[in-house]
Amino acid sequence: MATLLLEIGCEELPAGACYEAEQQLPVLAEREFGAAPDRLFIGPRRLALRFDDVPDQTPDEWIKGPPLELREKAAAGFAKKHGVGADDLVERDGFLGVERPGRPLRDVVPERLDAIVRGLSFSKSMRWDDSGIRFSRPVRWRLAKLGSESIVGTTSFGHRFTAGAIEIPAADAYEESLRAAGVEPDASERRRRIVEGLDAIGRWSDPAGVLDEVVHLVESVLVLEGSFDERFLELPERVVVTAMQSHQRYFPLGGNRFAFVANGGEPDLVRAGNENVLEGRLDDASFTFERDVGVGIDALAERLGAITYFKGAGSFADKTERLQRLASELGGGEATLEAARLAKADQASELVREFPDLEGYIGAEYARLAGYPEAVSAAIEEQYLPDASGGPLPQTESGKVLAAADKLDALATSFSLGHRPSGSRDPYGLRRAAIGLNRLAVEGGLVVPRSLLPDEVRGFVEERLEGLLDLPVEFVRAARASAVADLGGVAALARALYEERESDAFEGVYTAYDRAHRLAERAAEDAAQEVDRELLKEDAERALADGLAQVEVDGDVRRALESGATLAPLMERFFDEVLVMDEDEAVRANRLRLLLDVRDVLGRLGDFSQIPR
Amino acid sequence: MPRAFFPRIGDLAVPTYQDTIRALEGYWADYGCVLMQPYHTELAAGTMNPATFLRSLGPSRWKTAYVEPVIRPLDGRYGENPYRFQHYFQYQVVIKPAPADVLDLYFGSLEAIGIDLRRHDVRLVEDDWEQATLGAWGLGWEVWCDGMEITQWTYFQQLGGFDVELVPAEITYGLERLTMFLQGKGSAFELEWAPGVTWGEVYRQSEREWSAYNFELAPVDVLTRRFGEHEDECRVLLERLLPLPAYDQVLKASHVLNLLDARGALSVTERAAYIGRVRDLAREVARVYLELEADGDAAA
Repeated sequence: MATLLLEIGCEELPAGACYEAEQQLPVLAEREFGAAPDRLFIGPRRLALRFDDVPDQTPDEWIKGPPLELREKAAAGFAKKHGVGADDLVERDGFLGVERPGRPLRDVVPERLDAIVRGLSFSKSMRWDDSGIRFSRPVRWRLAKLGSESIVGTTSFGHRFTAGAIEIPAADAYEESLRAAGVEPDASERRRRIVEGLDAIGRWSDPAGVLDEVVHLVESVLVLEGSFDERFLELPERVVVTAMQSHQRYFPLGGNRFAFVANGGEPDLVRAGNENVLEGRLDDASFTFERDVGVGIDALAERLGAITYFKGAGSFADKTERLQRLASELGGGEATLEAARLAKADQASELVREFPDLEGYIGAEYARLAGYPEAVSAAIEEQYLPDASGGPLPQTESGKVLAAADKLDALATSFSLGHRPSGSRDPYGLRRAAIGLNRLAVEGGLVVPRSLLPDEVRGFVEERLEGLLDLPVEFVRAARASAVADLGGVAALARALYEERESDAFEGVYTAYDRAHRLAERAAEDAAQEVDRELLKEDAERALADGLAQVEVDGDVRRALESGATLAPLMERFFDEVLVMDEDEAVRANRLRLLLDVRDVLGRLGDFSQIPR
Repeated sequence: MPRAFFPRIGDLAVPTYQDTIRALEGYWADYGCVLMQPYHTELAAGTMNPATFLRSLGPSRWKTAYVEPVIRPLDGRYGENPYRFQHYFQYQVVIKPAPADVLDLYFGSLEAIGIDLRRHDVRLVEDDWEQATLGAWGLGWEVWCDGMEITQWTYFQQLGGFDVELVPAEITYGLERLTMFLQGKGSAFELEWAPGVTWGEVYRQSEREWSAYNFELAPVDVLTRRFGEHEDECRVLLERLLPLPAYDQVLKASHVLNLLDARGALSVTERAAYIGRVRDLAREVARVYLELEADGDAAA
């Protein structure tokens, strides 16, 4: 048994590629060496694996060939295929085969390391020479150490600027050798030290989530703190934070301070340089901000005709018109309609062109600076909420309406262009939009008329409701088939039906619906157009018709169930006393219609056939 | 590798803008690059110079370095914003094929212009390059020095829609950012160009005037017509198997497109259509250039 170390030396890999390699290396190692590595070292300049106990010899191999009785026919072909003579075939358990003795590990390491290099696949890869290898960035060295023996290559490399080529005396000395050469090869250790350094500085934040990337932007961890001129605090806070994070991968510390992680250098020099760069970025952002403010949000809104929403979906001016119409249909008041008019104005701003993440937020800032009331500005700011699973909803009424209008339009427009999400692909974020719309209705209490949703969209949105509500899906499906006019109402009905599922009233309605549904559905085409009271001959059927006229199912669900349940005894009597399939065709058609009416009236409470009993 | 071409740089407390250019020229000339001069028509990037774009195609080896003024009408700010200009400078190096130690070569150039790599924090941060008008892409980095992006670094993979045969390394130094870093200046206008003369003194007025032209006065109807003329002329020249003059028409069409963009004359859809037209021309030029090179007829 021996310790084996493999190192793939690269030019600086992107963080994304490091994570891809981290996923794939154990699988590739298993395939090539029959065991997962004991240690994995992932970083921008090297991917390394260490196996603590590898057998010195690969196992003997037995390649099973044809059965003995087919020796005449098949032996020669099989032997040729495996590069041996027919006489060299060995008999075992009634079969011919080839015996391949195991090979010394040192002989197979080069080819298996090569197979690992070639086996890694990256979402973006390149070539750099004629080796035929595609990799995220060029591979510049390989090293394999078996114990203290070099099998592939002879040296590794330490920190790019403070250490050159280094000796790794033995496989199990890999980490300490690199640490002595200014490199921390273990990504989790780098992460730990970054977090420790940030914690030591103070209350840091990472709203854009750059830490995962920063771990792979350094081989050596130097956490530093810097500050910038306080005059930039006059900029909207998120502009400052975005400039820090999106370009520079800094961690805001609040106020005019920030932390960052360097790969080395003299702290004072490196800090001064970074402070200078950030002030330049902020100065530039100030220029851009002032220019946008100088133009003003109203003038920005007028430029939307020149900006395409997305291909086939018209301009942002078209989108604005649709938003205004939807906002009005959703019952939006004056502030909401004003917000709808200005909602997309920031798409024409220079700052959003620079920092797309600031959409909505910066439009709201511009609206405030132009003196619009807070209800307008807040709605503009909240229009993209909820923007994450479980994320917060808009707090203002105008924000809820605008957020719903935005999602409704995104869904309707995308579906009309045939952009349905398929599998895991959802480039237009339609699942998130549908879930957001449901949450606005269910949790936000916003009345979203179902009639505003085109059929296909309605189906898509309401399917999401099934996953969102903590109820058996049958009840949601039943409620979806009801006559309830709004999305939140569907959810409320589903919940009420579920809560009432054991009550007598529910039982009564369920039974009545079920009997009417079963019989009438089978003979639906024979039913009359409408019930003719003249043709109701029996008392029991007249009683059912009268009872049906009294039933009130729209409104409070419990009262509706009680009202609907009054039909249960009438139905029972009807089936006892009346023969639906009368010989007289007109009478029969009339009775079938009466039953269909019972089903349809009760069906306004939902499709009870969805609910198993 | 000799690094003594411009020995004075090491003695300077602060190198001027032109010192830095001279040091880069010296370093890359010593390495064996052909020092080219700026191209004679407007380019939005040093990459568009035929010494990069066309020479990077095909099987011939090539090493070059040159200063390229880049013209980006949309980026002008009337000389008011010290970080945005419609005209600035890149130092462009292309080495084809890229040798295995090409990064070390590059880091050597940073030392040659006075950056002590052990005292500063120099890093390579993922930056994938794509230029739609040229049908070109590559993978590489932006190079940070103490957080300042001083270079764009690209291994070309495709140009004009064709896979490169030998993978070139393209090293594009942003001369203003680089010298802002070297001189510790917060504004390009304050950069010392030559002793006692600032970048602003040389170019600020030019920024004002060109911004006025680019944003307010460039004649949209004339430009629209010119775009079509360049397109037609390019095709005529390609039929005559003259990809080099044809390529100039691509460059001119591309610049006209950028001017129309600055004038706000293009909707997003129109702009995408214009970009598609330039890309089609660039592909055709690349195709004819490669055919001629394969025939051994290309002007070497």
